[in-house]
Amino acid sequence: MGSLMNFPELHLLLNHFPIIGTIIGLGLFVISLGGKSQDLRRASLIIFSAMALLALPVFFSGPGAEGAIKKLPGVSEALIERHHGAAMLALLFMEMTGALSLVELWKSHEGPRAAHWNWNLSAVLLLSIVTAGLMARVGNTGGDIRHPEIGVRNADGAETTTISRIVRRFEPSADGFAELMTTSKWWWAFMMDMHFVGLAVLIGTVGMLDLRMLGFARQIPIAALHGLIPWAMAGFALNLVTGVLAFTGMSQYYTYDWAFWFKMLAILLLGLNVAAFYLTGAFESVESMGPGENAPLLAKLIAGSSLLLWIAVITLGRYIQPYSDTITVHK
Amino acid sequence: MAPPLFLQAIEDTGFSTWLRESESPFAFYFILLFHTFGLALLVGANVVVDLRLLGVARAIPLAPLQRLFRPMWAGFTINAVTGILLVIAYPTKSLTNLDFYIKLALIGIALWVMQRLNKRVFGDPALSEEEMISRGARLAKWSLILWFGAITAGRLLAYTYKYLTYPS
Repeated sequence: MGSLMNFPELHLLLNHFPIIGTIIGLGLFVISLGGKSQDLRRASLIIFSAMALLALPVFFSGPGAEGAIKKLPGVSEALIERHHGAAMLALLFMEMTGALSLVELWKSHEGPRAAHWNWNLSAVLLLSIVTAGLMARVGNTGGDIRHPEIGVRNADGAETTTISRIVRRFEPSADGFAELMTTSKWWWAFMMDMHFVGLAVLIGTVGMLDLRMLGFARQIPIAALHGLIPWAMAGFALNLVTGVLAFTGMSQYYTYDWAFWFKMLAILLLGLNVAAFYLTGAFESVESMGPGENAPLLAKLIAGSSLLLWIAVITLGRYIQPYSDTITVHK
Repeated sequence: MAPPLFLQAIEDTGFSTWLRESESPFAFYFILLFHTFGLALLVGANVVVDLRLLGVARAIPLAPLQRLFRPMWAGFTINAVTGILLVIAYPTKSLTNLDFYIKLALIGIALWVMQRLNKRVFGDPALSEEEMISRGARLAKWSLILWFGAITAGRLLAYTYKYLTYPS
């Protein structure tokens, strides 16, 4: 076994979740419209946000999977390129759906006024429908690469239906896009700069909330600090965008790097951390606290693990450079 | 025109060479990592105070935010130390780059703004929140701009240097 990281396996293991999850989320969302159920709507928004996060490692494992199979007999590079472009467009819509879902979850936390139908919910509905469709296409174009038994339309990657021809027009060329990211040193420098600015905003705001829960500056009520969360989300969004763009620009560089994958793992664990904070009652337990009050143990554990994971994210991010090319893969 | 010779002298020392070339996990990238931690502490804490003064999360009582000036100075201390080590590792690279001096100037002014905030806005317990905001909003805006500039100038060091090491 010369392989420590099997990208095709990882890709195939993970890729069904965002596709099926988005469809389930959309189903719940549509049902919640008819039934006026706030809980159901909330559940669907949580699913959209979770799928937006989970779609990232699926997307990132693509180039590694491609590297492992493209030399195999019967594998068409044109089909892989088509799948890659479809995945880029689907990811864009998935992330937009997830971002607006988080905005909506935030607003429903803030007050009951958001319970009413608003433009943002309409946007989530529209985007999630488009995302589900694009995700299905990603699944289909991906299946075409290695599953000729279910009927490959065209090995040269040409489209056979009108709708797929139209969608294809909006899908970027992976190679062209990568070139765009790396053509100018200044564009790359700008992305990296924004990644550090996002880091400062994100760590500053989240770190303040975590430290307060751990006992720092107890005069400040935790609910008041929670008002900083939209800025944390903005910082995260900035870093997600610049991070994904950097990956698409130099995917070969990141794919075979351990530090990158552990950073991704830490980010997924942070997603669980956020879920634990809001869904286990930890948030409710600290929200009603006044100045000077001490957070309960569960909230402290969540805050402490959040801090440690963010430190891990920064550390692994910094070590992406020196320890690149360290993953053994079978090619 | 060749860069001043003392840069070469620093580079030739064992310590500088070790920082630059050692495979040890505690060499260059370890220091760079702590430079990033320092950045997160220093700028992160500043961002929280600045945003509050500019009207974000108004429920946060202003006076206790003075506690944040300690982590700010802790972050600055980490970055002053790690920054000096990074310059020792690559003296020619940094000291022959105009951008390096721009970065230092931006940090210097940002620290001055930070101290003004500490003294004028948080230093007088008799001030009401309205008075604190009327005194601090402009400083907070400049603080954000200056730290943004300092991060940008710092990032650009990786893309604007003329020499990586002393030219032979």
